[in-house]
Amino acid sequence: MGLRKTPAAVVAFGTAAALAIAGCSSSGSSTSASTSTSSAPAQLTVWRMGASVASQVTWMNNIVAEFHKDFPQYAKTKVNVVWVPWTSNTTEWNNALASGKNAPDITELGNTQTPTEASLGVLTSINSYVNSWSGKSGLVPGMLANDTQGGNIYAVPWFGGVRGVWYRTNQFKAAGITSTPTTWAQLVTDAQKLMAKYPGTYGIDAITDDTNAFASFIWGAGGQIATESNGTWTADLTSPADQAAIKWYVSLYRTYHLSPSKYIGQTELGNTGSTSGGANTDFGLGKLDLYIDGPWASATMPANSVDKSDWASFPIPSENGPNPAPAFAGGSDLGIFKTSKYPQADWDLISVMDSEPNSTSFANLQGFFPPYSSQLTNGPYKSSQLLSGFAAAASNTQISPLNAKNWTTADTGKYYIIPDMLKSLMNGAPFASTVAAANSQLQTVLNTGSES
Amino acid sequence: MVKTVRGRPGSISSPAGPPSGQAAPLSFRRRGALWIRRHRVAPYLLVLPSLGMIAALLLWPTVQIGVFSFQNYGLPQLVGNGPTQWVGFSNYTQILHDPEFWLSLRLSVVSAAVMVPLTLVVGTLVGLLLAHLGPKMAAFVSSVAILAWATPPVSASVIFVWLATPDGGIVDWFATKLPHWLGGGAQWAGFSWTNAALPAYTLVIALVVWTAFPFIAIAVLAGLRTIPPELHESARVDGAGAWRTFWQVTYPLLKPMFRVLFLLSVIWDFGVFTQVYIIIGELGQRDEYNLGIYEYATAFQLPPAYGLASALAFILTIILLIITVGYVRASVKEGALL
Repeated sequence: MGLRKTPAAVVAFGTAAALAIAGCSSSGSSTSASTSTSSAPAQLTVWRMGASVASQVTWMNNIVAEFHKDFPQYAKTKVNVVWVPWTSNTTEWNNALASGKNAPDITELGNTQTPTEASLGVLTSINSYVNSWSGKSGLVPGMLANDTQGGNIYAVPWFGGVRGVWYRTNQFKAAGITSTPTTWAQLVTDAQKLMAKYPGTYGIDAITDDTNAFASFIWGAGGQIATESNGTWTADLTSPADQAAIKWYVSLYRTYHLSPSKYIGQTELGNTGSTSGGANTDFGLGKLDLYIDGPWASATMPANSVDKSDWASFPIPSENGPNPAPAFAGGSDLGIFKTSKYPQADWDLISVMDSEPNSTSFANLQGFFPPYSSQLTNGPYKSSQLLSGFAAAASNTQISPLNAKNWTTADTGKYYIIPDMLKSLMNGAPFASTVAAANSQLQTVLNTGSES
Repeated sequence: MVKTVRGRPGSISSPAGPPSGQAAPLSFRRRGALWIRRHRVAPYLLVLPSLGMIAALLLWPTVQIGVFSFQNYGLPQLVGNGPTQWVGFSNYTQILHDPEFWLSLRLSVVSAAVMVPLTLVVGTLVGLLLAHLGPKMAAFVSSVAILAWATPPVSASVIFVWLATPDGGIVDWFATKLPHWLGGGAQWAGFSWTNAALPAYTLVIALVVWTAFPFIAIAVLAGLRTIPPELHESARVDGAGAWRTFWQVTYPLLKPMFRVLFLLSVIWDFGVFTQVYIIIGELGQRDEYNLGIYEYATAFQLPPAYGLASALAFILTIILLIITVGYVRASVKEGALL
């Protein structure tokens, strides 16, 4: 019966996405008649991920104005921005590709999703455009390689970011914490001090559905989630280092009671599909003392957040210090959707969105880092109270295996392997067998893309 | 055409026909009419339009799902990036060997086994109550009940999620205020109803019963109105209490209706999707899937596996068919169905 119901659900989703259009169109008053507009598209649709944010809409309006100015042939081209929730974007891409309706021309993608989507045939190869692009040489090394498959480039990096731990300087002062923690033991002690000083708050959010953050604990114990050799993945969750990390993370809830039961099964933004009640809301309202997320989370905090001027960050500690745990090198790419009829126009718009000054202003707007090396080394990030911790975390990053071709399937697609494992453990499942089962499942899915 | 068919054999030649006296060949229309009558096809012609609709909207998709269920049909096949291959029964064996299938089947069966009787009992009780109320009170109670029934599933689910949210939801607040001997206490503060199957399905069952009982109540009320009042009256005169009257008079008379209500409830409650999808927080919680959600995730979660999900849809249909056909057969044997 479920299958018969789904088309309606899918249509509803699509409609919701279409309704969320944050229209950005120019006045179209250009008098330039020199270029023919017959080959120019009437409209380009850009899919942005997340919830519509006013400052980003303004930024996009400026981009469109620049696009029209730099490329007079598109003076009459409208640019529509559709905001798609992160949690359903893979479904939305599949549906757009499958139905051929309401498809984007340009889409933002999480950098871990690009390899999967490229292999599924969702993206157009953009080799010729990128190779003649002036911005190519200035990109942070490795970022473009993540978007390349079999010699074909499928997307360009737009911005990057790392997760760290959010805290409040005034709370640390009041609880008598003089320096930010650099080991797990210190992290627990500090969270306990904060909970004691602020009764009724939660110490730290041990959520289960954010492997991008949880990976830092595995790496911070010296472990790996999975390693690749000659194209074959070996899952590593049963190694002593991984087990120590998993055990410690689960103990934040079960042993230390620093994290509430409601975070079990939640992402850093709460239950999938809900817009409140998540760890981000709790931190904003002062109900959570330490919150693990990237600097971009400020856009998701509630409007009535308290003590904003005291917000600060430190890198996720490693097990025994003193150096921070490696951070997951997250970020977004821009790619051209397979079904788009105007790849040249798409690329022209991407080249404006992703130029060095524009991607930098966009990154600054929301606490990301631009994909250009020169901006990272000379940028203003190290001096900002909120960003300095994240900037420190950005100096030591890792992405594998979170960019493996089948990672999305294993982690947020069909299987939710690590989230489900953490959830079961927090709900009291036996440790050894649960981890072993997750480990073998992870290895199978990473290698084959499905369970059997 | 219909009119011609209805005519008696002798009246074939109508005033509009060719001049009589000649063995003129019958017109095409008339020959058609004759053929229709001789072969008694008129009834079939009459049901043809509805059959056509059903075939286009139901049978054809079913056939296609049947075909997909024997293929490796996924996204590459759908958009033409890969060849469609016949895989025999491997989709079916894969499902039957998947522990997740059995887990979701168990959740579906157990939750339906609680929902169906609960819905029927609550609905019947409210129906009996309505029959005993004065007109004003009956109008009030039935309109309130119908409000619950008319609430769209999505809105109702969101309301229940709010009621039970760990952040100041009224359910947790109320549970902390309950006295200890009723199971209340501080342990309910911030209790999460969605992070494990048992509390999540408790909420789902409450929600489904809340939205489904008014239909049963109205149906029972309508049924009660068809029972002559003398029967209840004489039962009362003979000294039967409410309990006995119900089982000796009301229930036997309304038995066929109860059977239909039971059957409908089983079909509806076994296929609950929307409420579960919203309450468990969409697709992140694999240990809280019921069959419908599992099927949806199989079809549309990355990587989409339409073939596998089609096989699953067939298995689901067969399970429901076994339940309903078995039940209908038993009822027919008893001679009790309608």
